[in-house]
Amino acid sequence: MGNNEKKGNALTNNPLVNAIGTQKIVVVLVIILLAILFSVMSPAFRQYSTVVSIFDYSYYISFMAIGVTFPLITGGVDLSIGTGMVSAGLVGGYLVTFKGMPTAVGMLAALCVGLLLGCFNAFLAAKLELPPFIATLGSMMVARGIGSIITGGMAVTWPPSSDPSGWFRSIFKISVGGLNLPIGFLLVIIAVIVMSTVLNKTRPGRYIIALGSNKEATRLSGINVVKWQSLAYLISGLFTGLAGIAYAATFQTIAPGTGAGLELDAIAGAIIGGTSMNGGYGTIVGTLLGVFVMSLLKTGLPFIGLQANWQQIITGLVLIVAVLIDVIKNAKRA
Amino acid sequence: MKKKLFSVLLCAALIGTMVIGCGGNGGDAGTDDAGTSTEADSGDDGGDAAPAGDLNIEIVSKGFQHQYWQAVLKGAEQKADELGVKINFVGPNSESDIADQVQMLTNAINAAPKAIALAALDTNACLDAISQAQSAGIPIVGFDSGVPGAPDGAIVANAATDNYNAGALAAEESYKAALKDRIANASGTVRIGVMGQDATSESIVNRGLGFIDKICELVEADDKTVSVEGNDKYVSDAKGEKKDGADVIIEVVVPASVTNELSALDCQTLLNKDDIIAIYGSNQHSGDAMVTGDENLNKFGTEDGDVIGIAFDSGKVIKEAVKSGKFIGAITQAPVAMGEAVVDLCVKAANGESVSDIDTGCQWFTAENMDSEEIAQNLYD
Repeated sequence: MGNNEKKGNALTNNPLVNAIGTQKIVVVLVIILLAILFSVMSPAFRQYSTVVSIFDYSYYISFMAIGVTFPLITGGVDLSIGTGMVSAGLVGGYLVTFKGMPTAVGMLAALCVGLLLGCFNAFLAAKLELPPFIATLGSMMVARGIGSIITGGMAVTWPPSSDPSGWFRSIFKISVGGLNLPIGFLLVIIAVIVMSTVLNKTRPGRYIIALGSNKEATRLSGINVVKWQSLAYLISGLFTGLAGIAYAATFQTIAPGTGAGLELDAIAGAIIGGTSMNGGYGTIVGTLLGVFVMSLLKTGLPFIGLQANWQQIITGLVLIVAVLIDVIKNAKRA
Repeated sequence: MKKKLFSVLLCAALIGTMVIGCGGNGGDAGTDDAGTSTEADSGDDGGDAAPAGDLNIEIVSKGFQHQYWQAVLKGAEQKADELGVKINFVGPNSESDIADQVQMLTNAINAAPKAIALAALDTNACLDAISQAQSAGIPIVGFDSGVPGAPDGAIVANAATDNYNAGALAAEESYKAALKDRIANASGTVRIGVMGQDATSESIVNRGLGFIDKICELVEADDKTVSVEGNDKYVSDAKGEKKDGADVIIEVVVPASVTNELSALDCQTLLNKDDIIAIYGSNQHSGDAMVTGDENLNKFGTEDGDVIGIAFDSGKVIKEAVKSGKFIGAITQAPVAMGEAVVDLCVKAANGESVSDIDTGCQWFTAENMDSEEIAQNLYD
């Protein structure tokens, strides 16, 4: 235990760097550099509305990424969050739009779908000890199918802001005197603070980190690894549900059969933010910063006139570099 | 020993999961849950129709993702009721599930119907099944985007919107309503954005090309020059071409993959260009993305200086945007009429009558006429 901080600190003696972590400093620098680069190259990028858009499109990835950081730290992964998010949004939206239920019920249903998916993953990966990659690959397909079945294959449109039952959209963005305020960011910050505390300051969080760095040793020291590994997938599931709500608030219309691939954006965000794919190390703040790199790239690259396919290439290269940094760090440590 | 047993259990659980997963994702879901069949109770209508109950038709659609298909289904059911035939209307979970649709088509052929209606997601993938149907003597009627590029004689007739004409209608109406003045009064180059969901689907591409070609024609008739830029497929297939220093630039954007986010970002990028005067989105996905992309910019509208929004298809979001004046108007197809026409064609083909293509038509709707009976029946949420 205490492994989390130790690993992050291994490289330097500077107390400030130690406190924040090298990878995070690098990522913050990357964010600043990207922001400057895009602003210089495109005057249109230097607008308030662009900032709001970056926030708008970052909420759902942020929630997914915060959640998936936990399975990643246990040394596992959760591939079901993308389609899970879409099916949570579909089920919730279906109840509101087609069954006339209050918006709050739809939101609750979305959270429940996420949690159920988390339970399913926990059962497969923690209890039955299936390899998490395979288990969640299966549940990714299950989630995709369920969303389609429940809505009869139809796209679902959540109520618009102009409708009284569209109030949930103002959780993420309010308009004050014609100015859009991206207040959803506050929610993300709260989630980051809460989950950081859970991960670093509470016993369950420390157990999750411990079983990620050495599951066998953790088990031998008398800790119920099945229980804490399950918790990681449950957290991932809960945040999948939250992401579903955020996705509905941003895009309004959700089409069944979509969502596959979005989990990779979230996982990439966590990895860029310094979470180790081998488990045992990761921070929530780092994950959020990683997500911002992804969002900034996605929003900024079109502004400098890059064609759609080039954007994907660059995002991919950034991910590879981030993992490379992790590998080099590990090699130095060893 | 114990270990062995456990690994067997693991495998069983894994396979179980995959089966559930594939089942949910695959044909079962589409057939059992999205599919629906209608048996008409009215008896023999006389005339040329075959005896009721004998005549069964399999209809393989592109799925139910867009409410548009619900309206097609409604039309098909109405007509089946009227003619006293039995239809089985199925479709895959999403418009990218090409393999699922082929499976459904094969199932449809195995059900030995008197006729099959098909809206192919990908003609090439369906070729084997189509020749199987031909050798079984089952006539195939195309609908929606039909079965483009099918072998000669394989498709007896199509009931479809002429997408190229529909795109041209959007160009004509928006030009008349606003674009003409904007272009005439512009001091420099102006830009018109065209958003296409993809560059592979025949219907989407034709809607784009119809719009682009018509705009070129109208602008050139007013003695201005046009340059077509952006996505290579569209640029090479359009009649216009890329030229430097043109008065009007038509820029075609296609996202790398069909996600809400990428399309919304495409729209935002277009809206942020100084010379943009209008954006046309060629289906419901693009239209929805235009609304999302504009959310923080608020540039769409009908006032001078606003960007003119032109949409295609309806749905709650687009209807709202047209009603509030955010979009100047949109094209709607006639899905109910299409559903009726396809069943009609199938029955005629099954009875050995000669059949020919039907253009099921399209309409331009604006805030003014969208509540009229004629338009409202073709709009859906």
